[in-house]
Amino acid sequence: MLARSCVRPMRAFASARNGAVQITKRAASSSSGSSAESPLRLNIAAAAATAVAAGSVGWYYHLYGNSHAMTPAEEGLHPTKYPWVHEQWLKTFDHQALRRGFQVYREVCSSCHSLSRVPYRSLVGSILTVDEAKALAEENEYDAEPNDQGEIEKRPGKLADYLPSPYPNDEAARFANNGALPPDLSLMVKARHGGCDYIFSLLTGYPDEPPAGAQVGAGLYFNPYFPGTGIAMARVLYNGLVEYEDETPATTSQMAKDVTEFLHWAAEPEMDDRKRMGMKVLVITSVLFAMSVWVKRYKWAWLKSRKIVYDPPKEGQTKIRD
Amino acid sequence: MGFWDTITDLVEAATPWSVAEAEAPAQETTEETTAETTQEETETKPEAAAEEPAAEEEAKEEEEEEEEEEEEEEEEELQDPKEVFEEECRNSKECAPAKHHYDECVERVTAAQSQEGGANEDCVEEFFHLVHCATACAAPKLFSVLK
Ligand code: HEC
Repeated sequence: MLARSCVRPMRAFASARNGAVQITKRAASSSSGSSAESPLRLNIAAAAATAVAAGSVGWYYHLYGNSHAMTPAEEGLHPTKYPWVHEQWLKTFDHQALRRGFQVYREVCSSCHSLSRVPYRSLVGSILTVDEAKALAEENEYDAEPNDQGEIEKRPGKLADYLPSPYPNDEAARFANNGALPPDLSLMVKARHGGCDYIFSLLTGYPDEPPAGAQVGAGLYFNPYFPGTGIAMARVLYNGLVEYEDETPATTSQMAKDVTEFLHWAAEPEMDDRKRMGMKVLVITSVLFAMSVWVKRYKWAWLKSRKIVYDPPKEGQTKIRD
Repeated sequence: MGFWDTITDLVEAATPWSVAEAEAPAQETTEETTAETTQEETETKPEAAAEEPAAEEEAKEEEEEEEEEEEEEEEEELQDPKEVFEEECRNSKECAPAKHHYDECVERVTAAQSQEGGANEDCVEEFFHLVHCATACAAPKLFSVLK
């Protein structure tokens, strides 16, 4: 029976298409046997579909109980929009802030998070001077080319090397962090919905204590902005944690703002160039567009301004006009 | 950095006698200049003070008082402006409804928790609304203070 009703949907569909017409027909004359059958079948199908839907919902509740799905906690609190200066159309990164942000990354975040897509050379000129970058690179050791015996020795880093990662691999990182992997931060601003706003909110949004009744899993910390609200990263930024060389007061929000802007730079170092190029493109194309409009009007002027006149022959006049 | 600065920068960069510094300037020279400037300052200060002693003294006293206050503030623990503004915002009229709901929820849930069955709800949603309101209200103020 079920199989047969499954085979039939084509016919049922065809009759449904005619349904509206048939109903009006039936209103006109009550003596049509075959057309009265189809609405009945339709009603049965609708009732069956409703029963199946209600049944599956009931079955779900029977299996999983009164589960809380699609709660705001699951989604996480959407970050507030902050008026970032560097995100404005005509503004660039603030390189003093980038320098402070890099300091925060190096002194705080780099013990857990890698920044593996950023080489020392890209820091030159935007964050550090050549000498500072070289000195920083030389603090770390990297694998050298194989020597005569084919052994790989260590050499001090140089500008072409990439920033070192805190852990040799993901497993080591998980092992050191209670099973949670601190993600690479190179592209973090692009990788999260909300970008800078999200990261700033995440870093500054740890409440003193979770709201009443909130469930926080073992080894997790309550953060409203993290989807699910339980994050494996504890609050890391506290007032006065770093000492800025330009003597900016190192409050939590100041450090979070700086490191977020730095991470934006890490994810999108080409932003300043991109905006300048965009400006050039807009200026040049708008000039070219204006010129093309003018040229078009100029070239079409004779065609657009001509006048076609139909001069009908006068009544009774046989002679064709010359 | 105004428009005029941009033009003077461009002109400076284009002049043949200008020097482009790719490296940090040498350490020694900066030390010398700072020493010089501090000397100059110390030299000029007594002169200025001698000119108008009475008025200067009054002004100085006020300045000193202000300085003392500033120092005290610095000695105290750093205050995160975000927390200050958000606290203000939480208690403002704007966020009163959200705060009211949150406080009520906390009361209800803590009361339920102390009883046998425990609470079968949490205040996460109310907390979200309150935080959302407070951060949105504090955001422009905060970013006008931060560097
Ligand atoms: C003690 C180690 C530790 C330090 C220090 C640390 N983090 Fe984390 N971080 C983690 C761990 C572990 C996770 C993974 C959390 C999870 O998935 O629950 C994480 C996750 C993150 C995430 C991703 C959140 C997401 O949406 O997936 C960001 C962004 C982040 N950290 C930024 C930072 C910044 C910026 C700093 C420096 C100010 C920092 N972290 C310092 C351990 C750390």
